[in-house]
Amino acid sequence: MLRKPIVLAVAAATAISLLAGCSGGDDSADGKKTLKVAAFEGGYGRDMYLQVVEAYRAKHPDVDVQLQLSKTLEDEISPNMKAGKFPDVVVLPQGRKAALAETLVKDKALEDLTGVLDMTVPGEQSTVRSKLADGIVGNLNTNPYNDDKTYLMPMYYAPTGLVYNKALFAQKGWQVPTTWDDMFKLGDAAKAEGIALFTYPTAGYLDSFFFALLADVGGEQFYKDAMTYSEGVWKTPQARQVLDITAKLLTYASKTTVGYANEQDFTKNQQSLLDNKTLFMPNGTWVVGEMKDAPRATGFEWAMAPLPAVSAGGKRYLTTIVESVWVPSGAQNKDAAKDFVAYLYSDEAAGIFAKANAIQPIKGKAATLAAEIAPFYQLYEDPTITALVGGFASTAPVEGVNIKGTLFDTANSIISGDKTVDQWQTALNDASEKLRQAGK
Amino acid sequence: MTTTLTPPTPGASKPAPGRSPTSRRGTAARGRRGDGRFVAICLLPALALFALFMIWPTVSVFRMSLYTWSGFSAQMRFVGLDNFSKLIDDEQFLRAFQNTVALLVVVTVVTMGMGLFLAAVMTRQKLRGHTFYRFVLYIPNVLSVVVIAAIFSAVYDQENGLLNGTLRALSLDGLQQVWLGDQKLVLYSVAIAMLWQSLGYYMVIYMSSMASIPEELYEASALDGAAATRQFFAVTLPLIWQNLRTTLTFFILSAVNLSFVLVRAMTGGGPDGASEVLLSYMYKQAYTNSAYGYGMAIGVVIFAFSFLVSLLVSRATRREPLQF
Repeated sequence: MLRKPIVLAVAAATAISLLAGCSGGDDSADGKKTLKVAAFEGGYGRDMYLQVVEAYRAKHPDVDVQLQLSKTLEDEISPNMKAGKFPDVVVLPQGRKAALAETLVKDKALEDLTGVLDMTVPGEQSTVRSKLADGIVGNLNTNPYNDDKTYLMPMYYAPTGLVYNKALFAQKGWQVPTTWDDMFKLGDAAKAEGIALFTYPTAGYLDSFFFALLADVGGEQFYKDAMTYSEGVWKTPQARQVLDITAKLLTYASKTTVGYANEQDFTKNQQSLLDNKTLFMPNGTWVVGEMKDAPRATGFEWAMAPLPAVSAGGKRYLTTIVESVWVPSGAQNKDAAKDFVAYLYSDEAAGIFAKANAIQPIKGKAATLAAEIAPFYQLYEDPTITALVGGFASTAPVEGVNIKGTLFDTANSIISGDKTVDQWQTALNDASEKLRQAGK
Repeated sequence: MTTTLTPPTPGASKPAPGRSPTSRRGTAARGRRGDGRFVAICLLPALALFALFMIWPTVSVFRMSLYTWSGFSAQMRFVGLDNFSKLIDDEQFLRAFQNTVALLVVVTVVTMGMGLFLAAVMTRQKLRGHTFYRFVLYIPNVLSVVVIAAIFSAVYDQENGLLNGTLRALSLDGLQQVWLGDQKLVLYSVAIAMLWQSLGYYMVIYMSSMASIPEELYEASALDGAAATRQFFAVTLPLIWQNLRTTLTFFILSAVNLSFVLVRAMTGGGPDGASEVLLSYMYKQAYTNSAYGYGMAIGVVIFAFSFLVSLLVSRATRREPLQF
């Protein structure tokens, strides 16, 4: 008979422990408006967001700003979003693996922020539009549907190009090549000294490379055609030239590239630059911070160059990564959210961000940079170099088709000889065609 | 929610000799009925949660595989079996499927063979320090997969890795490989990591069942002139057969699940999709490519595949259980 009380007790304990997990739920019913801000904690750190939110709170005591910061932001906010609980403002780079912003764009689930451009920045006289650098809005990055509506506001921008060690070039007496012919000549010279011309951390880093190369070869209209899946664009001679130049460059790739081109080992490819074993890799300003503790050759000095021009004196493009801030359509407090987004462009907020090396595309901002990253941004002052923003246009999701994967990851197979340029071109054409159908 | 129909069990309701047996029986039955209700009420939350978090999501996977949905919006479009017909033409899916099957076969055969061999050696041969070996072989099983990925990244490193370093030290430079960069090798590199991770676990399972085989059987067979190999096939194997069947199901599940985590952490499916497995491809489609319905269709295929293979293996290995 002793068993019965035990069974009952265990049953009761099970029930209680399960029900205990269901308690909770937060309510801030003190009449304040709640503004939920979710931001990705990336290379710029978390302090700048804490300070900006603090400054905003001081000006708007009636708004309760709840800040959520995370290195894995998508994992934390997506489950709630699927359940219909959306943050009001999200700051998140595009091109991340989880592709949250891209998914919402495909879904048409972002709030139209065109109105924010004409809002006066809180506490200032000028409008957001007048503060922003020219050409930074109105491209596929901010207007993903290729129309005049802005859904993603540009937040920080950073140049991406070929990163190299300035000291090594000075030491060897080499010039940074300005044409592809010079580039390959340099490749041969470097090979004679046991130095590889090129590597990439993972194939995904070729995004900035390809975008710039497409524009270098075929001009801006061609670049736009490729990004919007114009019919037959990958069958054109220009597209073939892009793939041929890349395939030739890949024959100069360091032999460790493919073996290290994965999540676990990609820093070893970056390390080969620090060790003077490789000359160039496509990368962005963040690599300086990412590799700051890594050992390096004496006198190592970071520098960045745009891709060489196709012919002498040709136009060169510098792919510019723009991180965005956006408001989901499902947000509760859209007006407060828009006001907060406008505030992010105030001198006060921009100053806080700039201290953490997060540079916003605000006119005159480039003059106030820290010494270690200033050379990267100075590239924009070169009259032969044009900033290039954007990326592949969004379409409805197409099952099994990922054109970025087709364009970038195939590089691994080109190096190892598992695929030919012809196969690459055909696969790109197929993928582009399927996406074009879906975009109609 | 009623339990009144449950008759009192015959053994327990035996009329006890006493002054008023009927009233006592009535109290007991009523008490038991009350208990049943109490237990049922207490279990209800757990059952509800089980239904909510296990049964409902599983049903949802099947339902979602018939829709086109990005995962977030309210726009869901019913497309019938379209997702499945697209799968047949998807080369990357077929490649992932092949890789999964290859891992399933290679890892199962090798782990099972080695696990059995090691278990037999350790239980039968009374090796010196066999507890130490058991301990060493079991350790990988308690490590997290991320740690294993980091360890194997160091083992496979093409320049300073343990493997290539050893080959160089033995002057076998020609055998050095880019273990994670060669599309023909990468899957086997993943397979070796899986094998290393799971070998100890299965070895311990086999050892425990071998230890329960009575010693007399071995003595008798030895008197009949059976050598160790003959003993293994004629005595050990038939007597642990039921155990083997159970582990086969584990192999199938772990080949599907473990390969996903290892591939995610070690290669990301690369280079160029050469090490993609079904679950990693499903993840990429459902979350990175925003084709949630398509991802769920892959999930259904995985479900059906694991279920079917488990069933076939279970059928094919059915034997009359032997008693000892």
